[in-house]
Amino acid sequence: MTTYILRRLIQTLAVIAILSYVCFYLMTLMPGDPVDMMISSNPKITAADVARLRELYGLDQPSYVRYSHWVGDILKGELGYSRTYRVPVQELLGPRLTSTFILSMVALIFSIAISVPLGVFSALRPGSKVDYVINFFSFAGISIPSFWLGIVCIIFFAVWIPLFPAGGTQTIGGPDAGFFADLLDRSKYLVLPVLSLSLQQIGRFVRFTRSAMLESLRNDFIRTAKAKGLPRQIIIWRHAFRNALIPLITILALSISSIFSGAIITETVFAYQGVGKLTYDSIIGNDFNVAMVSFIISVAMVLIMNLVADLLYGVADPRISYS
Amino acid sequence: MNKTLKLGLAAALTVGMLANCTKKETTGDTSTEATATTSAKNAELKIGISQEFENLNPLIMSMSASSYMYRMVGRTLVSLDADGKWFTQLAKSIPSLDNGSAKIVDVGGKKKIIATWELLDNAKWNDGTPITCDDFAFALKVAASPMVSVGEKETFTQVEKIEADPKNPKKCTFTYEKAKWDFYALAQFYPLPKHLEEPVFNKYGKEKEGYEKNSNYTKNPTMKGLYNGPYTITEVKLGDHVTFEPNTEFYGTQPKIQKIIVKLIPNTGTMEANLRSGTIDMISTLGLSLDEALAFEKKVKSENLPYVVTFTPSITYEHIDLNLDNPILKDIKVRKALITGLNREDLVKALFEGKQEAAIHNISPKDPWFTRDPKEVTLYPYSKREAGKLLDEAGWAMGADGYRTKDGKKLSLVFMTTAGNKTRELVQVYLQDQYKQLGVEIVTKNEPARVFFGETTRKRKYGAMAMFAWVSSPENSPRSTFHTTSIPNEKNGWSGQNFMNWSNKDNDKLMEALDLEFDAKKRLDLIHKITKNYTDDVPVLPLYYRSDVSVVPKNLKNYRPTGHQFAETNDVEKWDLGGSTLN
Repeated sequence: MTTYILRRLIQTLAVIAILSYVCFYLMTLMPGDPVDMMISSNPKITAADVARLRELYGLDQPSYVRYSHWVGDILKGELGYSRTYRVPVQELLGPRLTSTFILSMVALIFSIAISVPLGVFSALRPGSKVDYVINFFSFAGISIPSFWLGIVCIIFFAVWIPLFPAGGTQTIGGPDAGFFADLLDRSKYLVLPVLSLSLQQIGRFVRFTRSAMLESLRNDFIRTAKAKGLPRQIIIWRHAFRNALIPLITILALSISSIFSGAIITETVFAYQGVGKLTYDSIIGNDFNVAMVSFIISVAMVLIMNLVADLLYGVADPRISYS
Repeated sequence: MNKTLKLGLAAALTVGMLANCTKKETTGDTSTEATATTSAKNAELKIGISQEFENLNPLIMSMSASSYMYRMVGRTLVSLDADGKWFTQLAKSIPSLDNGSAKIVDVGGKKKIIATWELLDNAKWNDGTPITCDDFAFALKVAASPMVSVGEKETFTQVEKIEADPKNPKKCTFTYEKAKWDFYALAQFYPLPKHLEEPVFNKYGKEKEGYEKNSNYTKNPTMKGLYNGPYTITEVKLGDHVTFEPNTEFYGTQPKIQKIIVKLIPNTGTMEANLRSGTIDMISTLGLSLDEALAFEKKVKSENLPYVVTFTPSITYEHIDLNLDNPILKDIKVRKALITGLNREDLVKALFEGKQEAAIHNISPKDPWFTRDPKEVTLYPYSKREAGKLLDEAGWAMGADGYRTKDGKKLSLVFMTTAGNKTRELVQVYLQDQYKQLGVEIVTKNEPARVFFGETTRKRKYGAMAMFAWVSSPENSPRSTFHTTSIPNEKNGWSGQNFMNWSNKDNDKLMEALDLEFDAKKRLDLIHKITKNYTDDVPVLPLYYRSDVSVVPKNLKNYRPTGHQFAETNDVEKWDLGGSTLN
């Protein structure tokens, strides 16, 4: 098992290294570097300014030279400097990663808490009215565009029935009222973005859970368990659900891997200070350092969560072994 | 009690509890609450902007939103007001050749200007340190450093040196590199607090970008002593908001509004919702698009909301650059046909309810240099017949399919602009229809702004027509957009904004003379000649002059959007919402 984990971690590092260069190179191919954008916004910039700025930013170097400087800085623990915001990357990313993590984690936990029981419930009553209603709302959740849903939530719950703030991450400028007061303050800003984000996730997870449970309930061992006279709850949760976990683990692991990559549309609509919009803006604005660090984090999360998922298969299914 | 009813009660209780815990968006000061039905008061004003901002180092910042906010905390020698007039801020008076406070000198065969600027006796940084000539000299030193990423150095390096009077540290002699008439227009020459920033510059200034990475503006933006304006920054959260409170050391009138929060709301679609829910109290000129403002104005009237939607004519010039590399557009008759066949008056009425004025050339009516005298500029009143005649003369015959052809080639022009800009896309559709009536096929092809401006326009890859806007200030030389040396090419690193590839030697000479002409009447004559050449050659199709839009509470007094690049925050200390200023 240890060997397996080590081998996978080495593979992860190799994949990150290769993908980081590919991403860096692709960004250099994008038209319009930071100096180009400065030229377009400031008519007084001269040819001398352009040459000077390119040299200062290292944009006159080939991409592999710039990449090697970037890797060298990363290995020294320097994440670099944001060209757009003019501040160190860690200062920019740190709070946003925290906010994104909170948003995504809360949305995910909320989604799982709602969707798994609903999916199981629906699978136990296939073809019933309840099943149809649950399926209808699941498809609605999957189909509804997130930006529309976000705007509707704001109109309903912030304008018409002013229960929650229309946007933001926390109350601005309030006195330091302690950890719990701060937590409560942040939580009210989370309600609408979490609702918007999780409605879509709930739809997907319900469908997957239902499908996995139906598949599991069709197995012979379920018939055996019933024949043996086992209680219904034991059959459902210990036998059927346990076997339905494998595909669920896959989908949940992939969802967890996006915890740090953010939800750009939700964050934009709710003006929520997350890393999703920052990543998008940094790619569009050719802010290499921010984009690359965000990219590395996303890739690393996907690869690590895949490893976690693989390990959890072994836990869920004793037949799977990594020795 | 059955399960469903229990669940329903639990849900109702939860919502009720959350409603009690939740209140409308306010700051920690619970005595003030801004809602859609009540007006904001002087205790606090929350302003929404939709554009990102960066760190507020006045030498390094390049974003409009940063400049908008900086003007609340930083002042310089002079600025431009809403009427387009220069006025003093930190300076006691504006030097001029007339009163002898400025003079032209000949140094080694080169004409220079020496001007005396005297700073206000009570001008201080917000830690009480007086502002002196040394702060301006230091700013010049930093800006001139090759290791500092100042975008456009000429703003600073047009001044060769700054010397302080030994007897009066607030009396400065500026020696300008060239004798240009607008030598006094130093509205972006901000001083730096030498007593705080010099140690940073001395320590890190030799590293590439060392100064700006370690500047107090970056590391400690709320530090006392960094600002000299009516407000000081008390909180910065990049990408979210900036909080401002009055600067007790400010040289001018103390501001009435006790706290201003500028909040970033990236999605303009939710800006209105944020306003109506009380998250913000007003929307700045960097907020809504025109069509959103028009729609909101209707709601303000129908629902009697306590806001005013302002539409301020601006200098911003929306236009279509014509690619003179395109063989079709090389023919001036085609260009004249395009401008004659463009009904701009109808366009602004149809799309903008007349809130934006049709343009006749690059200079806006807000600019003292504007003229619509047909003796001074060539005007092209709309005439579909005249436009058709010009195309016929150019050899483009109308075909059976409704499009013109010449030598077997269809008169088809690629029309590009920034993708995702609804207003521009509407204009494209409108023009497509107009030109179709003339037999001209317009093929639209849009790109994201960074591609459009970063690559396409500068390298003239836009086919035929590129629509965008120029923002400038009144009495601004059009050198960067008209001069032959401003044509972007590989040799000049693709700098310059003459994207049309328009070269008019007569105009080049006129622009060179314009910079050096000190007589206002002669300058006017020169600019009119330049504009005449511009309207004769038609390298560009003027569309309209944009209006800046903002939404303010009805009770906000002394708010005057300027319509140019020196934002209304220049006057923020005069803004008055009425009501108590005490907490």
